[in-house]
Amino acid sequence: MVTATRADSARRLAVFLAVLGLAAGPVPRPGYAAPVPDPGDAAPAPSSASQPSPAGPPSPTAPGDGPGPPAAPAPDPVASRGADLYLRTCASCHGPAGEGSQRGPSLVGVGPASVDFQLSTGRMPVDQETRQPPHRRPAFSAADIRALVAYVDSLGGGGPQIPTVGPGDLREGRELFLANCAACHSATGGGATLTNGLVAPSLDRSTPVQVAEAIRVGPGLMPAFPENVLGPEQVDAVAGYVQHLRGGRLDRGGASLGRLGPITEGLVAWGIGLALLVGVVRWLGGRAGR
Amino acid sequence: MITRWLSGRLARSLDDRLRVAPVLRRALAKVFPDHWSFMFGEIALYSFVVLVLTGVFLTLFFEPSTADTVYSGAYAPLDGSRTSAAYASTVRLSFDVRAGLLMRQTHHWSALLFVGAIVLHLLRVFFTGAYRRPREINWLIGVTMLALALFNGFTGYSIPDDLLSGTGLRILYSVTQSIPLVGEWLVFLAAGGEFPTAELVPRMFVSHVLLVPAVLAALIAAHLGILLRQKHSQFPGPGRTENNVVGSRFWPSYTVRTLALFAWVLAVAFALGGLAQINPVWIYGPFDPAQAISPAQPDWYVAWGDGALRLFPAVEFRVFGRLVPSPFLPGVVFGGLTFAGLYLWPFLERRRRRRRDRLAHQLLDPPRAHPARIGFGVGVLALFAVLLAAAADDILARILRLPVLHVLSILRVLALALPVSAGVVAYLVARALRAGGGRGIGELTRSDVRSAMRFGSRAGGVSTGVGDPSPVATAEPAAGSHDAARIELWRDPDGLWRWRYRDAVVVLAASQAYRSRPEAERAAATAYGDLPAREVAPSGGRTGEPAAMRERAGRIAGRAGGYLALAAVALWRGRRARRRPPP
Ligand code: HEC
Ligand code: HEC
Ligand code: HEM
Repeated sequence: MVTATRADSARRLAVFLAVLGLAAGPVPRPGYAAPVPDPGDAAPAPSSASQPSPAGPPSPTAPGDGPGPPAAPAPDPVASRGADLYLRTCASCHGPAGEGSQRGPSLVGVGPASVDFQLSTGRMPVDQETRQPPHRRPAFSAADIRALVAYVDSLGGGGPQIPTVGPGDLREGRELFLANCAACHSATGGGATLTNGLVAPSLDRSTPVQVAEAIRVGPGLMPAFPENVLGPEQVDAVAGYVQHLRGGRLDRGGASLGRLGPITEGLVAWGIGLALLVGVVRWLGGRAGR
Repeated sequence: MITRWLSGRLARSLDDRLRVAPVLRRALAKVFPDHWSFMFGEIALYSFVVLVLTGVFLTLFFEPSTADTVYSGAYAPLDGSRTSAAYASTVRLSFDVRAGLLMRQTHHWSALLFVGAIVLHLLRVFFTGAYRRPREINWLIGVTMLALALFNGFTGYSIPDDLLSGTGLRILYSVTQSIPLVGEWLVFLAAGGEFPTAELVPRMFVSHVLLVPAVLAALIAAHLGILLRQKHSQFPGPGRTENNVVGSRFWPSYTVRTLALFAWVLAVAFALGGLAQINPVWIYGPFDPAQAISPAQPDWYVAWGDGALRLFPAVEFRVFGRLVPSPFLPGVVFGGLTFAGLYLWPFLERRRRRRRDRLAHQLLDPPRAHPARIGFGVGVLALFAVLLAAAADDILARILRLPVLHVLSILRVLALALPVSAGVVAYLVARALRAGGGRGIGELTRSDVRSAMRFGSRAGGVSTGVGDPSPVATAEPAAGSHDAARIELWRDPDGLWRWRYRDAVVVLAASQAYRSRPEAERAAATAYGDLPAREVAPSGGRTGEPAAMRERAGRIAGRAGGYLALAAVALWRGRRARRRPPP
């Protein structure tokens, strides 16, 4: 069902462009047409190769297979891998013991959900100081992320755990999303601008776990929604609806035009519809003159 | 054979009773100018037809009520939700009614095309001075239709009762409320209480599907009736005078051309409706006064008002001790000035002339003939372009990664600077073009522009006769070919007399036939004054080249029909593919 609709809408988009030309195209949302397979949901990413791994003697390749939480005794390879990665890539900003520095906030007690969110959405590590680190391809493999999460957790406990997301009720998810999230992220999930140049990003690449983490953690300018505001089933519902918003599944009417609303619609009406009709009358008028 | 005989009898018996034949004959011989810019109005007309056709379909399924209902249908995320009946029925139209979404989207796309075509038509009329006496009435009717189209677009956009349009409705409500003294009373009259009220949707619905379309239809009829009575204006050119119209006859060549255009408008509207999503209210969700949506823009044709509201500094002031809230100046005053300016323009411009222009004009000004008019028009267009951009300030801010307030400041500067500079440039270009005579913008040299900027010497003001308000000054071809200009008369095999104008450049056949030679001569003299007339042998077929025209017209129609069929097949296949059961 899902794939059928998506392929269908891609084909419709192609037909649309072929028929009407590509004047005044919509503002492309990054990765909109082809959602990047996100390693966040447990699929080990090949991108770990980019990480210079051979630096220390401890056995480098022993990823914590299986979902078991890495309870950390001293000689655990996962823990030392986490410490190693942390010291090499995070400590410069967050301090060697996660106490924070001029360049980054303290990580003591932020909780596994926050660390996993920052790493799986590729926000951390930031390469240069930006006001708002964007969603990118994660810099670490899933196993390395687990190791880092465990290590940062060992610096000081507390904070929200990584939520487990089950299937949620679509209708409830739609209502909760419109009530709690649409004001910032737009009802289409396409994102919107906030004050002072910051944006609430598009949710087009957010996995269910990342959505649940964002709800609990409240990254950046986003407020955190604790359990007494949104219970676990409600989080499941919102995460499920966000998945429903992703891709072209809801664009039943054809090319989505970036789901930016009347502005792009107006541009298409002028740039394609009226341009075409003006061309037609020129042609008809030109023939009549002869 | 039989049909021909039948239709002949039918025609004759009708004519016996109604005496329509002379009227019809005259109507069919009506001449329409060939210039393409004369067809913008027709695009608007046919978009209106598409709006009525699709709108009637929508009316069969739309429920104009804010009563609480439970949606149950194919759109899973709404299934079982309580929403207003209007919203639920719009989602049902989009997901559960066969072809409903196609009709909804086509209706909305043709609304955008409709207003766009009206604006193009208005610009053509404005820049060519077609609104001058005797056509001021049609200008007034046209501006009224534009205002009604904007209003109807707004009500149509608002009746689905979704979150996005509700946001716009709330803004219009507060703008109306901001009018001193009468504002409160007006919103109470319209809405029946504090926003949002249950009356608003049904009232807007009646206005949207009945009142305004009926008034529009009546105005369209009046507009076209006056056009037929006054005849078309036309661009000056060889053989064209204040007393004639040069172009194609209504039947057959013009009829086929305009039907081909109708087919094209249908094709474009339905292609957009089938291929490009517009106003996906199921994603926006139902209106809820406690919720907000962002980014929120209205349709482009009212977005300039929204842009003015965003751009204008929040100024409140007191009149007789009453506080006038900030939407008043950008919302009510600016909108009012816009339309007052449009209504009054022909009369303002007439007064501005040194020699008060009371003459009737059948010949259009080439746009360059009035640099001041061009400069003013281009400046106003630039202002509205900035306002449209301001309505998208949040989207621009996101693309540019700037704070919205910075974007607004930039746009404020642009709103002041761009209209003036664009207007001055247009003014100078028009002056340079006018001084240089018939060349295009691409061929202007620097010295042309420099001389256009010298005002004292009147270098730019050298009249080429083009657009001079005197009725006899038409752009005649160069002197040599002028000598050759003459009227030719002949008698057709059917016994009727016809005439044509001929010079070195063109041959223009008159569209009417006359019973006697003096009648034909008189007609020719009305159109061309004292040109030498001589009788010639009838040329081949009848007058013009109806056969050739018919053939050409047939080709056009065939091609247009082909494209239409192609689009229909593509649409149908798309729909079918979508309905295919999942693998
Ligand atoms: C260049 C400096 C820099 C580096 C390197 C860096 N961070 Fe950060 N980090 C920041 C800044 C600055 C913020 C605050 C971001 C914000 O306000 O949105 C932050 C925020 C965070 C947060 C969210 C804190 C909270 O309060 O919720 C986490 C978790 C985090 N970083 C983890 C990491 C990890 C793990 C690494 C190593 C892989 C890392 N960071 C590398 C600068 C850095
Ligand atoms: C006040 C505005 C605001 C609200 C309300 C809000 N968010 Fe956010 N959201 C943000 C901002 C700002 C960010 C970007 C944080 C950053 O800079 O890292 C964000 C980020 C996110 C992300 C990460 C997107 C990515 O790039 O991967 C998700 C997922 C998310 N929000 C989901 C939600 C959900 C679900 C809700 C409703 C329950 C919600 N947000 C409500 C402002 C908001
Ligand atoms: C001046 C002409 C008209 C304009 C500019 C116009 C414009 C619009 C617009 C913009 C919408 C919103 C569509 C959407 O939901 O996306 C709309 C809805 C609607 N229009 Fe019109 N319209 C016009 C004439 C008509 C006529 C003549 C009828 C009926 C006879 C009609 C019936 C409807 C109905 C029932 C709806 C609501 C259904 C829906 O939103 O899906 N309209 N119109």
